[in-house]
Amino acid sequence: MKVFCIIPALNEEKTIGQVIARVKPFVDEIVVVDDGSSDSTVEISAKAGATVLEHLINRGQGASLETGNLYALKNGAEIVLHFDADGQFVPEEINDLLKPIIMGEAEVVFGSRFLGRPSNMPFFKKNIIMPIARLVNKVLLNLSLSDPQSGLRVFSRPALEKIRIEQDRMAHASEILYKVSFYKLKIKEVPATVIYTEFGQSFSGGVRIVKDLLLAKFLDN
Amino acid sequence: MFQQAIALIIILFFLARLIFLKRKKKVSANEFIFWLIFWFLAGVLVLSIKWLDRFVADLGFSGSGIQILLYVAVVVLFYFNFRLRLKVEKMDKDITKVVRKIALEDK
Repeated sequence: MKVFCIIPALNEEKTIGQVIARVKPFVDEIVVVDDGSSDSTVEISAKAGATVLEHLINRGQGASLETGNLYALKNGAEIVLHFDADGQFVPEEINDLLKPIIMGEAEVVFGSRFLGRPSNMPFFKKNIIMPIARLVNKVLLNLSLSDPQSGLRVFSRPALEKIRIEQDRMAHASEILYKVSFYKLKIKEVPATVIYTEFGQSFSGGVRIVKDLLLAKFLDN
Repeated sequence: MFQQAIALIIILFFLARLIFLKRKKKVSANEFIFWLIFWFLAGVLVLSIKWLDRFVADLGFSGSGIQILLYVAVVVLFYFNFRLRLKVEKMDKDITKVVRKIALEDK
């Protein structure tokens, strides 16, 4: 099956080359969506053998993933994987993530940071933010996921054809979950290791996600 | 009386600016009509402040007419701010569409 890996990147020249080299053995094509980097992310990615799509100006992670998704669908992808450019995911675990789709057990797979694999997640995030997010998912979306905000996802082609990401910034993670729930797609969670390089979403980032989601309610697209 | 005169002078100043800008073709017809009605309405309200006081008292508010006008103005401003945010958000999405199209071209 033709597997595409989408890596959104913004000024990731330090890690992107290594990430591409390590992911390459597990997928058919790597698509780096450069989101207006001012460093050498584009050159390094191209040199490492990835297809590079360039956003002329910064549009956000959600927008980058959607650009990659559309490219993958257009070019015959059968499975699409979302991966991070900063080296926080472990490429050697990709096969575990693809397996449920290949075996027909699921249409969407999420890598979960809470299923036993080691993680150095900051205390506040692990014990305060994540339980709240989990509760929100359960109440609003009726989704019982151990990892409510996973950025490590795999989609089967039919599933991805249904999910259009309209949230350009960080609210895309919640939007994807909403659409997965809306279309009643078959989900599976697979344990994933996450190496924290920095603290990720700040509190103000969380507030912005909520704001984006509320504004979207008033917009007809 | 004195305050009313000052308010009217300010309104007249903005009206004059508006007409000046219209003559220089710096405001569109729609924009011109909107602001013309806006300042005209402001002028009428300033002139009928006594009536407004009574009207507001009849409605059961304890404040004076001018205070109620201020409250209404804040509400209207919030509404415009909200509209503006929606518009910016829409433009943001349109920009993404353009950027994406360029990124995907010839790929």
